[in-house]
Amino acid sequence: MQPAQTMTPNQSPLDPAPLDQATVLAALRARVARLEGLGRARHGMDPVPVAAGIPLPGGGLARAAMHEVAAISPGAAAAFCAVLLARSGGTVLWIASGGPEGLQAWPPGLARCGLSPANLVLVRAERWADALWAMEEALRCPAVTGALLAAEDAARLDLTATRRLQLAAETGGALGLLLRPDGPNPDPSAAASHWRVGPLPSGGGGHGLEDPRWQLELLRARGGRPGGPWAVTWRAASGTLDLEEAEVPVVETRRGQRGR
Amino acid sequence: MKFGMARRFLALHLPDLATARIRRAEPGLGDSPLATWEASGSRRLLVAVDAAAAALGLAPGQALADAQAIAPGLLLRPADREGDARALRGLALWARRYTPLAAIDPPKGLILDITGCDHLFGGEAALLGDALDRLRHNGLAVQGAVAGAAATAAALARSRADQPIAVSGIEAALAAPLPLGPALRLDAAALEALARLGLRRVGDLLDQPRGPLARRFGKALLDGLDAVTGRRPHAIQPVQPPPELVESLDLLEPLITRPAIDAALDRLLAGLCTKLRLAGLGARRLALLAWRVDGTVQEVAIGTGQPNRDPAHLRRLFAEGLGGLQPDLGFERMALEARATDRMETGAQTSLGLGARQDRAALAELLDRLGQRARVQRVAPLASHWPERSVAALDPQAVPPPPPPGWSRPEQPLLRLRRPKPLEVVALLPDAPPASLRWRGASQRVLQAEGPLRLEPEWWRAQGRDAAGAERRDAYRVELPCGTRLLVCRGGTSGWRLHGYLP
Repeated sequence: MQPAQTMTPNQSPLDPAPLDQATVLAALRARVARLEGLGRARHGMDPVPVAAGIPLPGGGLARAAMHEVAAISPGAAAAFCAVLLARSGGTVLWIASGGPEGLQAWPPGLARCGLSPANLVLVRAERWADALWAMEEALRCPAVTGALLAAEDAARLDLTATRRLQLAAETGGALGLLLRPDGPNPDPSAAASHWRVGPLPSGGGGHGLEDPRWQLELLRARGGRPGGPWAVTWRAASGTLDLEEAEVPVVETRRGQRGR
Repeated sequence: MKFGMARRFLALHLPDLATARIRRAEPGLGDSPLATWEASGSRRLLVAVDAAAAALGLAPGQALADAQAIAPGLLLRPADREGDARALRGLALWARRYTPLAAIDPPKGLILDITGCDHLFGGEAALLGDALDRLRHNGLAVQGAVAGAAATAAALARSRADQPIAVSGIEAALAAPLPLGPALRLDAAALEALARLGLRRVGDLLDQPRGPLARRFGKALLDGLDAVTGRRPHAIQPVQPPPELVESLDLLEPLITRPAIDAALDRLLAGLCTKLRLAGLGARRLALLAWRVDGTVQEVAIGTGQPNRDPAHLRRLFAEGLGGLQPDLGFERMALEARATDRMETGAQTSLGLGARQDRAALAELLDRLGQRARVQRVAPLASHWPERSVAALDPQAVPPPPPPGWSRPEQPLLRLRRPKPLEVVALLPDAPPASLRWRGASQRVLQAEGPLRLEPEWWRAQGRDAAGAERRDAYRVELPCGTRLLVCRGGTSGWRLHGYLP
């Protein structure tokens, strides 16, 4: 229990006496994050912001960590991931498995989310094992700032695999995203946070389509609290996610089903 | 050519290289006429004849039986085209004594770019004379010429025996009086067809309109004509001496197991990478050759995106291919060849280098590794309104060009179906936007639809190539009550299809 003792603020000679509860909590969180290897100091980069107003530990998605995104609809979740990858600010690998059939990440659409072709590398592996390997290699590479692995329906992702990816991300410092379809009983995972993303009707009465609205739900977060669902609007022109004030679950959420 | 100086080319033509080689190898042949032959299907044809045989009326392409009837004393040897090509390449390497830019001009010629080199030998005439003397001294018949374009010099060398040295800029006038056969190296059928039209010299062709010539004789004839008149100068490909960068290992005991092969590869890589470092080079393509005890040779080749000489990285690239080796009774010899290399900064510079350069190297190595087991590509944005043609695959190490304006339009999907899926859609009128569609097993009302965006195929492209996707279609962006946004298209014959998902 050595760490527990040193974490008590009064006994640590390094920490000045805290003034209020918020400062204590922040100091403790920073310590826990250091112990867990999240957002390591040596990578020296700020976490990736999601949207102003969504409370996340550290203010955003930690780099050097895996995050899982369960997609209610492929389009909205992929766009959410592309926005996050673009904000990671460097070379990004988009890894998919499967043959020439199926869904293909389409660069002009990704570019609308801020992911320009100059930073994008597309990887397609025939077998799921190769895709997992490619993801692990990519996360280990210090020159990559973000990597996404798009899992198919049948893809098996067990605790060991996600743990390996998490360790690889801690080595390389990249933002790792795991995009998979939303299912009733997701496999256990070692990801640092677990999101559920779906579309919301934009509700515009005019002729054209309005900016898309999404529902974000934070199912689990290491070092933080689950939250949401939040309704956000994606403004492609300015590249921001605007959080709406009212926290109204328009679509039934999983946390709602559990009878929270 | 955008150099300050006009280029000057020296061409050498060696009409009886093949027979001269045989005479050198077998000095006892005397002066009897000599020819080489090879089997072409069921026939045996002459391939090369020497001057004495040509004087008797023999020519390449003649049937062997005819030749023997004409000249009963004819000496015959089987043709060795590979040996001839090797000899020509050897001569090109020899010709590097005059200029670093010496190229072969198969089957029987050499082209030297002597721009700025001639004064070292006392002028162009002296250089040409020196080269001809040295070759003739070695028993080779040779003709030479100097001109301002490579193909012109070669044509002059083939056609004229008087060693012409032509000034630059009058290539067309020089080429005009040359007979077509040697000047353009046409085959017998084309020559005959041209002769029937009364076209025997290059000048005759130059007087003809180009369109009909191209229609009748193909683009190759016009290309040859443009080259020989200097209208379209083409660069020569200088020969490079064979790389010294080979590391080999002779094994007393044949290698059978994978750990042993790995260890051998480690030793080869360590030696080769040292050689690369001393030469200031990095490998782009490497091949591991393994000689099995039964005499067969197996090869594992790898390529890197950036010049590299890091043994650990190269070993990882080989790891995948080594599994394909079949040692059976074992390998008795292994060699590692650097087939292609590039300049690379020395180690001191890279270790002093900034983080950005290290990152670039790390990314290049990562993409090399991924390329062994997956398809890795970057994308080049193209300016095309046809969605499938707005993206082209690029090499992973390439730098994509900036996107053209208007490239990422809102109607471009985020995820695209490689093969659009048929969709049950209800539209109130034949040209109206979709009113409802069947989605995930249930009929869903379409809340909003934006469109149509009428896409016409690119008529200037051949229909055959994109025939699968080249049908006019109307694209609609639709939103369902759950908020899902889809890109659906109505094709003329294919009906409604789902093309992709929008954000």
